[in-house]
Amino acid sequence: MLILDDLLIRPFVSLLDILHTMALDQTYDTSAIRDELKENQLLYEIGERPEAEYRRRKQELEQKLSMAEEIREQMRDRIQVKR
Amino acid sequence: MAQHLYTYGVIKQDDLELEVDGVDGADRIYTVDYRTLSAVVSDIDTTDPDRTDQNVQAHNAVLQEVLQYDGGRSVVPMSFGMAFKNARTLKGVMRGARRALRSGLQDIDGTVELGVKVIGPEEHPVPEEVQVSIADRLSAVSIGETDNDLFSDRLVLNKSYLVEREQRAAFDEAIDAIEEAHGETLRVQYTGPWAPYNFVDIHIGAGQQSER
Repeated sequence: MLILDDLLIRPFVSLLDILHTMALDQTYDTSAIRDELKENQLLYEIGERPEAEYRRRKQELEQKLSMAEEIREQMRDRIQVKR
Repeated sequence: MAQHLYTYGVIKQDDLELEVDGVDGADRIYTVDYRTLSAVVSDIDTTDPDRTDQNVQAHNAVLQEVLQYDGGRSVVPMSFGMAFKNARTLKGVMRGARRALRSGLQDIDGTVELGVKVIGPEEHPVPEEVQVSIADRLSAVSIGETDNDLFSDRLVLNKSYLVEREQRAAFDEAIDAIEEAHGETLRVQYTGPWAPYNFVDIHIGAGQQSER
């Protein structure tokens, strides 16, 4: 009911804005990216992920994390999505 | 450059001097005493060392060395980055936190921390009875445990255990038995001994003497 709540509290915020913010929130979920980084490290350490794949994935996730942190910083003053 | 002191942890009063690689390129650690306590330190040029992988690794390596040196010692570990202006400042902080430090040392006396991660297969979940039996087996040979973050769906167990030094062999055997029983489907990552970060909770700072 968070959409309804937000609309009742802030009727001037459009549904589209809320959905857009929720989508951004999910896409730039830094804790999920950090978890993926840890999983990548773990699978490499137990020998399940080859070094080349581990390095490629690590680089990819670090870039994704850095971008997500930047976007979240920019989003900070915008609509808060309640969980 | 002014010489400051980087602190790794606190042990019962002891004169310790070792040639080991420390934080920010230090090559020697030694102790600074406050009554019945000794802080394990190395010289450093800054009070704000960079949290690089190399420095964090050096911090942990020094603690492991102290844990195992000459029959082993109990260490209350400091978190990374605790650097003090000089021995006087450090002693002042130790004085403020002395009760917490003594009680922390007592709690972990004669123990080490061991880390265990059990990783399940990608294809299917691990039956609950298997998870319970593994956890029970490790609990039986430890005196404390903490749950760590299950950051991957593949993680069946991620815990830190506080184990008495005399029980270390029994803990190793429990790990071997788990690997033997479930080695075809599960992987075990067994690490340590670590300083018992997860079993002492003391917060001290250079600017204040807070404890909790």
